[in-house]
Amino acid sequence: MPDSLVSFIQVLRTHDLRISPAETLDAMNVATTVGYSDRTLLRDGLSMTLAKTPDEEAIFLQCFDRFFDRQLADFSEEQEPDEPSAADIDETDAADTADSNDSEPGAESESSPLEEAAESEPQLEALMQSELMQALVNNDRNALSMAMNKAGEAAGLQQIQIFTQKGQFTRKILDAMGEEQIRESVIALERADSPALPQLQRYRDILRDQVRDYVESQYLLHAEGKTQQFMEDVLSKTRLSNIEHTYLHRVHDLVRKMAKKLATRHARKRREYRRGQLNMSRTMRAGIPNDGLMFDVHWRRTRKEKPQILAVCDVSGSVAAYAKFLLLFLYSLQDVLPRVRSFAFSSNLGEVSELFEQYPVEKAIELVNWKYGGATDYGTALTDFANLALEDINSNTTVIILGDARNNKGDPKLEIMQSIYQRSRQVIWLNPESRRAWGTGDSEMQRYQSACHFAAECNNLKQLERIIDQLLKSTR
Amino acid sequence: MHSQDFPQLASVEAIKEGFESFGYICSDKIATAVFLAFQLRKPVLVEGPPGVGKTELAKTTSQLLETPLIRLQCYEGLDEAKALYEWKYSKQLLYTQVLKEKLGDLLQGAHNLAESVERLHQFGDIFYSEEFLEPRPLLKAMQQERGAILLIDEVDKSDYEFESLLLEILSDYQISIPEIGTVKARTTPMVFLTSNNTRDLSDALKRRCLHLYIPFPTVELEERIVRSRVPDVDEQLRHQLVEFVHSLRQLDLKKVPAISETIDWARSLLLLHADKLDEELVRSTLNVLLKFEDDIESTDSELRQLIREKAGD
Repeated sequence: MPDSLVSFIQVLRTHDLRISPAETLDAMNVATTVGYSDRTLLRDGLSMTLAKTPDEEAIFLQCFDRFFDRQLADFSEEQEPDEPSAADIDETDAADTADSNDSEPGAESESSPLEEAAESEPQLEALMQSELMQALVNNDRNALSMAMNKAGEAAGLQQIQIFTQKGQFTRKILDAMGEEQIRESVIALERADSPALPQLQRYRDILRDQVRDYVESQYLLHAEGKTQQFMEDVLSKTRLSNIEHTYLHRVHDLVRKMAKKLATRHARKRREYRRGQLNMSRTMRAGIPNDGLMFDVHWRRTRKEKPQILAVCDVSGSVAAYAKFLLLFLYSLQDVLPRVRSFAFSSNLGEVSELFEQYPVEKAIELVNWKYGGATDYGTALTDFANLALEDINSNTTVIILGDARNNKGDPKLEIMQSIYQRSRQVIWLNPESRRAWGTGDSEMQRYQSACHFAAECNNLKQLERIIDQLLKSTR
Repeated sequence: MHSQDFPQLASVEAIKEGFESFGYICSDKIATAVFLAFQLRKPVLVEGPPGVGKTELAKTTSQLLETPLIRLQCYEGLDEAKALYEWKYSKQLLYTQVLKEKLGDLLQGAHNLAESVERLHQFGDIFYSEEFLEPRPLLKAMQQERGAILLIDEVDKSDYEFESLLLEILSDYQISIPEIGTVKARTTPMVFLTSNNTRDLSDALKRRCLHLYIPFPTVELEERIVRSRVPDVDEQLRHQLVEFVHSLRQLDLKKVPAISETIDWARSLLLLHADKLDEELVRSTLNVLLKFEDDIESTDSELRQLIREKAGD
């Protein structure tokens, strides 16, 4: 049983639950304490050590049901009547047994058509002697599932990743189990128009059903989590403008996850000693043992202020495809970091922090696009920004600008950029265009770049994550 | 705490029954958590919306085991001087005064400095000793002879640094005091931590705990809770009011009513001698259930329909 607990934990890990070796040991302890006899008790106990949040608990419960059901179906001799999924097959299976049982008493005088046919056909006779056929005829479920497990392992079923592989694996396992011989015999019997045909066909169908079901359950256990990981992996490397609209909610989840990860990694408050201010009470207290001699001096500590982030996002036509995702990112960032103010512009600029707070993400993005979308004018936008927020920019402020810097040949108002640059701790420009396109045509990127601490190309989520990570590190 | 001393915790069923005798009706899961916490000597991290009985769980456990409950309420800025221990400065000060007076007598007859120091060393170093130690909740829990229930309430309100302070206590049941050394728990206390999820706790802390999430109870369970807390309420009314609270929880509210609110409401209905719910009654007592004006206003329009649904049952 400990072995299956370990493989259960493997399954949980593929479903994105982080479980450390120490927790595995805890789970073992729980299992020995509560025992394996009471299923609910075991489930509750394990969920307390392995699942850390309500979300994880939901995943845990799902996996638990799937995993331990299969185990029951495979290894127990008696089937409980209301056992789901696997029971259906077993019922047909049982019905078959009943059938063959019906015919078998008769077999004393006249044997079943299949056996009769086998007597005249050496090839079929050999098949009837094979382990596989024996298991099927005798309805030996244990032997069958063991053979299936073995074939599955040989075929590397645990590496199954996407659902399109299911057919391929089913075939591999069937071949490994020797289904081919049955198939050949069926064809032979068909040619001979033998009365034994339907019986053999039925055995073949049972076998196929069993294997298909086995592959399905293994797929659910091992691959579902992987498919999702795979999907997320692909999405995070795709250019933002190419991601289909239908994936928006997936990307939203991904971005949220990312933003949260970044936020927790960087949210720790740091204390700093500020020399110069004496902490009188602590110093006196420390001096008491020395008869009031204050030679152990304590200084007052101050908590360093958390950085403030001002994010400005271009939502004009030229970057429309990116804007959606950049807004999505802003939305998530504001959700997880406490001091973020968001602005959007194309010609006029306005603060959208409140919109983000009030509305759910899709609605908020739609509203921002509708309110601020249009032709780009960086000059006006910067003037507006300066009016709104320049006062608040100080040495703790980081300004992030998301945009392509294509200004339609208007006045870039570089001097405003420079005053922002001088007041703030950091100005970061993220441009969805590739670096080669900067400064071509109406792009003012190279001039703006002179007033940025850091400018980078950013057109997929991986790059975005890396840049924001860097940013948060340096704003500490 | 040894298992033979506490037959109350021998099995999940026994725990459930024991809790019920103190008026705490719980699900299997909660009882399992307490059982495992006791058997494996692990702390329990209890999470869930406010008012589902997280703190009550620790209190009832202490009643059940007849052991003292030691409670540490967490808040921002809580530090070790308030949670672990502090030195009794005034007593230490007095001690130095006394020492100074006696010093002359003690050192009488010493011929040189080395001899005086030698004599000084002969006295025990009691300045930093347990006598001058003022135990705060965490240390107090370690010092209990017969074990204790330690409740660390709303741990999510404390600072990040404080969490790290807890780690040593939670995994090894010991506290390191630089001047004295390591103080081990005389008897392992049972530890409950509660959290309202205002921020994510660190993985290190979570890893050391059993994780128990208490959701809002099912209708059936909540009816049993109301019955045990407010036994005088008529059965039909009890069913109606619990159903009504459950339908309120489905609405989009700022703060959904918790179990404690259901109990309060049942009590107020009892005082008003109500025997069934009607719109007027609900409207006039809604402020017991809902704590925000916005919530009361937004439910007001739906009241009629909610009650009609319940009456239709």
